[in-house]
Amino acid sequence: MLLSLSWLREFVPYDGQVDELAHRLTMVGLEVEEIVRPFSHLSSLVVGRVMEKKPHPEADNLSLCTVDVGGSECLSIVCGAPNVARGQHVAVALEGAELPGGQVIRRTRIRGEDSQGMICSEAELELGQDAAWIMVLENDSEPGASLIRALNLEEYVLNIGVTPNRPDCLSVFGLAREVSAIFGLPLQKPSLNLQEDGFTDFSSEVQVVIDDPAGCPLYQARLISGCTVKPSPGWMRYRLLAAGVRPINNIVDVTNYIMLELGHPLHAFDRRLLEGAKIRVARAEEGYRFTPLDNQERGLNARDLLIWDENKPIALAGVMGGANTEINNESTEVLLECAVFDPLSIRQTARRLGLHSESSFRFERGVDQLGAPFSLDRAAQLMGELGSGRVARGVARSEPRPYSPVQVMFRRSRANSLLALDVDREYCSRLFSSLGCQVGEEEGDGFKVTVPSYRPDLSREVDLIEEIGRIYGLDRTPEHLPRVQKSLHQEEQNQEYEFCSRIKAWAAGLGLQEVINYSFVGMADLDLLGLPQEGRVRVFNPLSEDQDVMRLHLIPGLLYALRQNLGKGNTRLRLFETARSFKEDKNLETGVRENNRLALLLYGSRYRMHWPYTEADADFYDLKGLVEHLLQVFADDPGKFAEHNEHPYLNPCASCSIQGRHLGFLGRVRREIAVTCKARKDIWFADLDLDALHVVFSSVQPRFQPLPRYPVVKRDMTLAAPLNLGYASVLEIVHSARVPILEDAALVDIYYPQDRQEKKLTLRLTYRHPERTLQDREVDAEQQRLADLLQKKLPVGFP
Amino acid sequence: MSSAQEINASLKSLIQEFEEILDQASSLQEVEEARVAFLGRKGRLAGIMSKLPGLDPHDRPQAGRTANQVKSELNRLLEDKKKVLETKSRSVQDTGFDPSLPGRIPDVGSLHPVTRVVQDICNIFVGLGFDIVTGPEVETDFYNFEALNLPPGHPARDMQDTLYITESLVLRTHTSPLQIRTMEKRSPPLAAIAPGKVYRRDSDLTHTPMFHQIEGFLVDTRVSMADLRGTLTAFAQRIFDPGVKIRFRPSFFPFTEPSAEVDISCVMCQGRGRVHDGTACRVCKETGWVEVLGCGMIDPEVFLQVGYDPEEYTGFAFGLGVERVAMLKYGINDLRMFFENDLKFLNQFIQAGHR
Repeated sequence: MLLSLSWLREFVPYDGQVDELAHRLTMVGLEVEEIVRPFSHLSSLVVGRVMEKKPHPEADNLSLCTVDVGGSECLSIVCGAPNVARGQHVAVALEGAELPGGQVIRRTRIRGEDSQGMICSEAELELGQDAAWIMVLENDSEPGASLIRALNLEEYVLNIGVTPNRPDCLSVFGLAREVSAIFGLPLQKPSLNLQEDGFTDFSSEVQVVIDDPAGCPLYQARLISGCTVKPSPGWMRYRLLAAGVRPINNIVDVTNYIMLELGHPLHAFDRRLLEGAKIRVARAEEGYRFTPLDNQERGLNARDLLIWDENKPIALAGVMGGANTEINNESTEVLLECAVFDPLSIRQTARRLGLHSESSFRFERGVDQLGAPFSLDRAAQLMGELGSGRVARGVARSEPRPYSPVQVMFRRSRANSLLALDVDREYCSRLFSSLGCQVGEEEGDGFKVTVPSYRPDLSREVDLIEEIGRIYGLDRTPEHLPRVQKSLHQEEQNQEYEFCSRIKAWAAGLGLQEVINYSFVGMADLDLLGLPQEGRVRVFNPLSEDQDVMRLHLIPGLLYALRQNLGKGNTRLRLFETARSFKEDKNLETGVRENNRLALLLYGSRYRMHWPYTEADADFYDLKGLVEHLLQVFADDPGKFAEHNEHPYLNPCASCSIQGRHLGFLGRVRREIAVTCKARKDIWFADLDLDALHVVFSSVQPRFQPLPRYPVVKRDMTLAAPLNLGYASVLEIVHSARVPILEDAALVDIYYPQDRQEKKLTLRLTYRHPERTLQDREVDAEQQRLADLLQKKLPVGFP
Repeated sequence: MSSAQEINASLKSLIQEFEEILDQASSLQEVEEARVAFLGRKGRLAGIMSKLPGLDPHDRPQAGRTANQVKSELNRLLEDKKKVLETKSRSVQDTGFDPSLPGRIPDVGSLHPVTRVVQDICNIFVGLGFDIVTGPEVETDFYNFEALNLPPGHPARDMQDTLYITESLVLRTHTSPLQIRTMEKRSPPLAAIAPGKVYRRDSDLTHTPMFHQIEGFLVDTRVSMADLRGTLTAFAQRIFDPGVKIRFRPSFFPFTEPSAEVDISCVMCQGRGRVHDGTACRVCKETGWVEVLGCGMIDPEVFLQVGYDPEEYTGFAFGLGVERVAMLKYGINDLRMFFENDLKFLNQFIQAGHR
């Protein structure tokens, strides 16, 4: 809402600083976002007086003017407007001045004649639409004076962010009420001096029929006849311009002016384009088509409320009038509408049609039904005055749902306890009165408050308590730390945040860098990765195609981060992200399974690229090492890894599981996908289920074991195995032998002989007896038993 | 048969000879050879000592003592020489020692600035006694809007541009649904904060379609505005600095009444509106204040939605934007950097610990 300070002062005598006003409004919840001087772009213009006018010797349509701009010498200015005349006071742009359109005025020669400035039209100053004629000022201003001072445009405008609960502040008068309450200043209502004319009562001429009382509790109309449509006078146009509304003509401008002044949207129809003697308010029908003032035909449905004449719809109620009955330059008879519509209905129509107007904005928030007659009368009076028309006697109206006053019980104790204040009855009563409320007799420690019809936001006691806080100043209320109480028997605690924090600390501690990516990606990203169609969670109204589906896997975001970094010359990455994946699951309340996951990405050199590290790229075992470290730290379990050949975007790829729970996959991003990130090296990537790991983590509790007292015996065992024999199968056999004194088996070396026909694995077996020192021969026997078993079960030999 | 004098003399000369040989020795190998020759089982000292039993019993103890003294003297000379040689050889080996060369520094990881700020904020509130709760990012219309006193068609729904999944499912536009979910699951008194991702259909210089919020709420009997103000003042002073001022401006949220926006004194210009060189502060646009969060006393409608008696219970709630706090705390001037994940950005947040 743009509030012009001079307009405000018509209703409340505020004479303080504009900054102070802005601050106080902000501190009562009417945030002043900006203080602007709407006509400051005209500050370099001055008033000039045309002293002499001669025809241009070389051009019929140009004049040579001598203009007094207050200096010692007059300027000579070439002017092309037909209306320029001697004795006129005009707006002059001097050499060096910049016009609103960006044009800088220079001394020039026009067809051989000097021109030392420019006499401006309203259009050039963006003060009106007239571009052909120059702007002629009242004759009372001194040549050389500032134009904006001469036009009384030295104006401040406050740009106020009005919250949706305060429709009453969407008008100058509404804001004046607030200013009056804040500063304790008297409030002056806008003047009304309506002269009705004619013998017949307009209400007998036109009948208002409301088919939908809930949609339209009040409809009223007046007739202004014999009008002349023309531009509004300057004062009105400038006010509208300052408020951000484009002036159109004296009829339409009055409707806008009253809407800005009193907050009630109005509409003017050309009476002669209305058929019959009936105005009807009724819903549209499915499939009906209607063309509003913007001349774009729109399809309607049965929920859209329309205004009809006898035969046709003439307006989208509360949203926009129809093109078919628009005021035009030939209109003389104006039917002026001032109605109240159901906010929800207006909102639905405006939203569905994408047709948001100043009018729908106010109806959606609620207009003042009791104030409507005043708005109508004041608008009719002004229209009669500016259009030289006569306001017909009487009002055509129907009010199927009259406004019923709202009474709210207010308890002082409740207010004082919620706001931590100690305000007395007198204070509260005075405060409510200043806001237009009627305060009833004392009841208990409070009283009944009848709220004004323009405050739909005050319907409950707590709303009144808020008013106390708002006007008293929330910033002045006391403050202290609360005593936080908890139930002794706490409900189950949510550990998700804490677990994810631990994971993040682990990852950062291991030298990984955390990234955060958007949760949505493009369908094409998922297609490229070969992910299935089913289960995808699509965004119904995405901002763009590359954000139209939720992440099914975390990988697209990390590949995006990789691509961005490669583009910026960062060629070594060790990234992690914890985020949720989203998959459709109709059995859940939200229809979506959200799964916390951990993604790891390694790219480029294994080590920092400086001495004493040697150069080598990260490989599968760097990635697997991280995953194994994770499992050891969070589950004290080595996990199980198995080759997986069907992964959509990883190859080679291993699946990872722990204690029977599948955790995820790790491997190399397929080449055809890697190239889309401009990656020249292998991308190693893991995507693991943190929720599953969390379950295991929560079930693991360290249990103390007595420390061993007897020494270990270590024996190495080298076996020759075919190249394709997995190490896991060797370990499995070793463990399956259930050698009670075998404490540990670790791989210490793999050797590939030159011919590469086989590999030699060296295991280090650690033996220990809990209760005594082992004898060589018993270790020999067990070592032999293991060797025999391995040879029996696997194609291995002992070189 | 040797006399005691002879033995004594040869013992004494051993020391001198040994000294001379060691002087000549330039390697541990030579020292070892000398040791074997003098102190070995068949060495010179052993040879002399083997003659002791032939001495007059009267002279034997004196000769034995002398022999032992000589032996320990020889050993001392031997060890000294060894030490000298070892020190020498070590300094030869270590000529490349240079402590200014880089060590094998393990990789240095980092937490995203958003995570750092979330953790800082959560730590502050956990310290004040709040629990941490989480909830779904795809949320029902009921939890995201309706239960928060935002029925369908409410103009306040326009305050947040919503990304929809279906007609009744949205990407949560705020973390406020956690108020409802937590109040449904638990009973008062309760105090919790809910960090998480939120989504809006908005993307420009100052908006990203995904960002992070932290919701906080406390419900008990007789909770007042003073509790809310105190909590947020404590929070602002701990997350920024103890001198920061906060300002409560009345505002509107459908799920709180009274509602307020909270500004802090601008951390860039210390609330002066102008930075040190006198130019206008761009962070607070010369106002000296920057908005950091919205808050209020929980609306009775919300309590009715979860079956709490609004006459018995009151509470407060607040919601703050994490990126906003991070921008102010670290002086980040471009919101979009948070989600570009440029290492040159992330590397600026490797320092461990919090202020």
